[in-house]
Amino acid sequence: MTDIRIPNDLWDDDREGVIVSWIYKDGAVVESGKVVVELMVEKAQMELSAPASGRLTILAAADAIVNRGQVIGRIE
Amino acid sequence: MAAPPNASSAGQSDRILTMARAGREAVISEMRKDPKVFVIGEDVGKIGGIFGTAVGVQEEFGASRAIDTPISETGFIGIACGAAMAGMRPLVELAYVDFFGVCFNQIYNFAAKTHYMSGGQYTMPLTMMIGVGGGYNNAAQHSQTVYGTFAHMPGIKIVVPSNAYDAKGLMHSCIQDDNLTLWMVHKATCGLGWLGAPLKTAMAAVPETDYSIPFGEARVWREGTDVTLVGLGLTVHHCLQAADLLEASGISAEVIDLRSLVPLDRETIFASVSKTGRLVVVDEDYLSFGVTGEIIASISERDPRVWKAPPRRVAYPDVPVPFSRPLEDFCMPDAQKVVAAVKSIMAPQ
Repeated sequence: MTDIRIPNDLWDDDREGVIVSWIYKDGAVVESGKVVVELMVEKAQMELSAPASGRLTILAAADAIVNRGQVIGRIE
Repeated sequence: MAAPPNASSAGQSDRILTMARAGREAVISEMRKDPKVFVIGEDVGKIGGIFGTAVGVQEEFGASRAIDTPISETGFIGIACGAAMAGMRPLVELAYVDFFGVCFNQIYNFAAKTHYMSGGQYTMPLTMMIGVGGGYNNAAQHSQTVYGTFAHMPGIKIVVPSNAYDAKGLMHSCIQDDNLTLWMVHKATCGLGWLGAPLKTAMAAVPETDYSIPFGEARVWREGTDVTLVGLGLTVHHCLQAADLLEASGISAEVIDLRSLVPLDRETIFASVSKTGRLVVVDEDYLSFGVTGEIIASISERDPRVWKAPPRRVAYPDVPVPFSRPLEDFCMPDAQKVVAAVKSIMAPQ
């Protein structure tokens, strides 16, 4: 099992972010390296790629407020 | 006609993309295939376009194919026209459509007419990526759609996708076309976080492979028998929502998504109105002298006997877009206004 974690250095202060959209549905099989989620801090949009291949579990749905370091999904 | 794979019908492992991401995929794919394709405009390089259509392009292709320009639309559209005449395939970012005022000569006198005026000696494979529309308190100079203004000028092809699947397929078609094409996306549909949560119905399952959607083919999203609702871009979503509300009142609405404004699929609209006898055109462009009147006229010219009731227009009132939220809400088309327009032409239920 691999966590999808927002890197601590994705942005450089303690502002909150928000999940804009997940590219795949909960339970989808995703491939390592493919973009899986878009998120935003203020007006800056960012994306995270799958850290591993496997089945996606979404822990923080679209519109959820998130912080640096937070685990927002899992791949197993 | 089959609907595109939307977010709710997507298979478990389909990718569900925002329109910005889907459009960008077509841009990047065309740039990989053809070194003549390049992107130029304000903030297309480091930022990747204010509406996200060129994110990652400069990283992959370098600053010579993702060219950041000064705030000089006349200059960089002129450069793109010249490049297109010399055989390149430029993608120009105009950002907000409202900025067309400073560079309209380049657009409608040069880009739109050169292929014709040179007797075909010069083609103009130039695509403009343009954000349109309001609803987010950005006032009169950053909220217009004005696609009717461009549609009025011969020589310009215009697409207004309503969802991510169409955004990608129509972008491929625009880049591959040898004439000036405008890819106009409503900001409320493009799916950028800073414009609010992405509109779920604008997100769609998008294949990773390339595909083109032909110009001039409207899509019937929903079949109905009592009234035809015609929309484009964001107003398609108002129409779909209105159709749900009308269904609860026992009124069956057919919903047509124009997808491209020029060429206009008059056949599909006429076929639908021939069946329903009633039409409400829903448009965020200004009411007068525009898209709504053109669509209604094209039905009446062909056969006025199809009308069971007077056609109705839900469009933007002929005023500058207000900054005030209550005033802007009052002006913007929405599902409730569509429902009211439909009920005004239905016999009492």
